[in-house]
Amino acid sequence: MSSFPLHVLVLWACSALAQLIVFILLVSKGSFRKTPVFTVYIALNLCQVAYLVTLYSIPKLSEGTVREFAWYSECVTLAAQALATTEILKITLRPYQGIWGLVWRSLTVTSTFVVALVALTTRGDWANAKWFELNRGYHLTFAATVIACLLVVRYYSIQVPSAYKMILGGFCFYSCSEILLSNIVQTLLKTQYAAFQPIWQSLTMLPFIGVVTLWAVALRKPLPVDNRQAPTAPDSVYSRLSPEINERLREINEKLLRLWKMEARPQ
Amino acid sequence: MSPALLLLFGLAVLLLVLLGWVLCDPRKIAKRGSGFDSSQEESSRSHVTYFPQMKQALSAEDCTFLVSRGTPALAKAVRKERRKIALAYLACLRGDFLRLWRLARAIASMSQQVGPAQELERFRLGLAFSWHYEVIRIKFLLGFAPLPEIGVLSEVISGLSVRLETAMKDLGERAALAASLASSMERRSLNTP
Repeated sequence: MSSFPLHVLVLWACSALAQLIVFILLVSKGSFRKTPVFTVYIALNLCQVAYLVTLYSIPKLSEGTVREFAWYSECVTLAAQALATTEILKITLRPYQGIWGLVWRSLTVTSTFVVALVALTTRGDWANAKWFELNRGYHLTFAATVIACLLVVRYYSIQVPSAYKMILGGFCFYSCSEILLSNIVQTLLKTQYAAFQPIWQSLTMLPFIGVVTLWAVALRKPLPVDNRQAPTAPDSVYSRLSPEINERLREINEKLLRLWKMEARPQ
Repeated sequence: MSPALLLLFGLAVLLLVLLGWVLCDPRKIAKRGSGFDSSQEESSRSHVTYFPQMKQALSAEDCTFLVSRGTPALAKAVRKERRKIALAYLACLRGDFLRLWRLARAIASMSQQVGPAQELERFRLGLAFSWHYEVIRIKFLLGFAPLPEIGVLSEVISGLSVRLETAMKDLGERAALAASLASSMERRSLNTP
């Protein structure tokens, strides 16, 4: 622990304090009943702080081993983050069964595409940068997928309660800033992965503290009771009207296209 | 910075911009939007119904008559005014299209099962419509008025509007029926000892 610079320790303490406040708010306001997985995610983050403090305090362990074990704990929190986000998306889209089905598909397609993209762009010293590259790939996939879902939500004009919106926005913002900061640090320090690890760690902690503070603001009031009831229509209405509407829209476009072609002709 | 890193950097910036846009209140964006008045768009009366008047106002015969009888300055002024009217009318037609497109999305959001292919197709059609509309608007700005084609277009929109409004009315009646059934069932359960 003594090897860490003071500012890193201060940032660490601030982060832990902010998370503790969020956890207390979740429990005291009863919001943990509505978002149990998100509460578990915050609790896991707090446990991770305690785990890392213990890990870095053991003098016998080599630096490489400590780093490896620290990354293992990061895997757990990142998995919890994905589950917590899915939980909030599910709460948001619960009254809209059809759209939820669509969101699931867009989630799968986007994540597959981004994972392929990340695999293609991952180059360099894999042995040393394995965890670093995996972390960046995860955040890119996560941010792209959640934003794709939010785009679908917006396209169908679905109202999302502001507290949930702030939680989802916070997750995405943190992931985007992780990717940006990773790229900047990696560009500046080239392949000296061991050197940029502490710098990258302290830099990424800042947006995380910001996000957790935002969550604390969002959770200062109990999460709203979700009594939205979307009007439902029989499946036959959609299956009958949807192709018809598309056909009409296609006709309009064809007319417009014909007009455009006509105009393009030399007079 | 290597091309791969540059790509990742660009993606992250794009995602941040998209996030900002997605989290913005859509009502605020609508207020800031140019050329569209939401009350005008929500108007129950479709703008396509004014097509005969527009056709008359923009008819070539009228222009020829003005040129032959009036001064060239007058004809020019009238042509300019008419172009303005045509542009405003085209914007209203777009409003009609958007209203119908929104209704289609509303039907999708109410459905228990949504076909991804249908939705993707509609999204693509919406993009195509926006693109073609902008091209035609620019043509209008340059002084070319494609009236016969607009006539066909407005007939199509009008037909679709009637069908959708009937469907929405039907859905509204179903919802009201379901609500009354639910409340009567609730009353019955309360009366049960």
